[in-house]
Amino acid sequence: MKSQSTYKVPDGKLLKIFLDYDETSNVIRHIRITGDFFVYPEEAIELIEKKLINTAINKESLQKKISFIIHEHHIQFIGLNAEGLTKGILMCKL
Amino acid sequence: MREQWRLLQTGYDSAFSNMAIDKAILIANNKGRVPPTVRFYGWVPPAISIGYFQSLTDEVDIDICERLGVGYVRRITGGGAVFHEKEVTYSIVVPESHPEIPKNIIKSYGRICGAIIKGLEYLGIESAYAPINDIVAGGRKISGNAQTRKAGTVLQHGTVLMDVDVEKMFSLLKVPNEKIKDKLIADVKQRVTSIKHVVGNDVGFEEVASAMKRGFEEEFHVELIEGTLCDEERSLATKFEKECFSTEEWNFRR
Repeated sequence: MKSQSTYKVPDGKLLKIFLDYDETSNVIRHIRITGDFFVYPEEAIELIEKKLINTAINKESLQKKISFIIHEHHIQFIGLNAEGLTKGILMCKL
Repeated sequence: MREQWRLLQTGYDSAFSNMAIDKAILIANNKGRVPPTVRFYGWVPPAISIGYFQSLTDEVDIDICERLGVGYVRRITGGGAVFHEKEVTYSIVVPESHPEIPKNIIKSYGRICGAIIKGLEYLGIESAYAPINDIVAGGRKISGNAQTRKAGTVLQHGTVLMDVDVEKMFSLLKVPNEKIKDKLIADVKQRVTSIKHVVGNDVGFEEVASAMKRGFEEEFHVELIEGTLCDEERSLATKFEKECFSTEEWNFRR
């Protein structure tokens, strides 16, 4: 199932997510995280997108997974955060 | 004696070439081939640049760009879509380890924007840094900025708006809902300003660039010495333009 969302991160930037997910198992098949935020290093966004494949689409799993990737790879978000990204992904299912 | 940095006035170039030159300077400085560098440039034809993380097809109306002869390019820096027409664009490349550059990214945005703010002062414009990456005059955006850091080297580039045509900009950008387009245009007109708007008359590219030069010199306690791209930078720029910035693979990758 393909879906997308637009979410203005509080005190941050405009996040636009393009999501393809499996309705039966409720997991991410493919995700594109786009917007006018900043990620250091930039290439980390592709890593995050890759690592989110097969993650269950619920608040706990997403936030835990995103926070773990950010921490593990020393990624810095500006104008975006793990909560905002989680919210943006969840909004694709509304 | 004050530390000397290089000043590059590369004039007007295409979007692909402009972004390739910025990246070439970044790589050359990272390899220790060239000193810290401040560059001023313009865009011919006018062009839209989008942030690294944006989707080109979601942000930009490619058909209209092609019809109007407006270029487009994906930047290596994050941030938003910018329509570059009547503006002075700057870039600064400097090692992260330079004592004048804060390690903290937001603080370094503030420091580099400080140079633009000082430059605007020379044009009689009072402005302030508005985190994350804007400079505002009278509460309205007059400059947008974007920074990347690669292997210990900082590249920040940004715009100093000489004049702005919000209607033209919106004809090139995709809006989520055509029905609210007029309202969006009205909102942006309220939020954006330009040198022409603030001082009441046209100020030329050279005058703006020369004010910005003084701004950088003052902010960073350096002397900017006019120079040229070195041979290595030229060949890197040609390579990056051909292999990256002019390719569909790069521009449409997200």
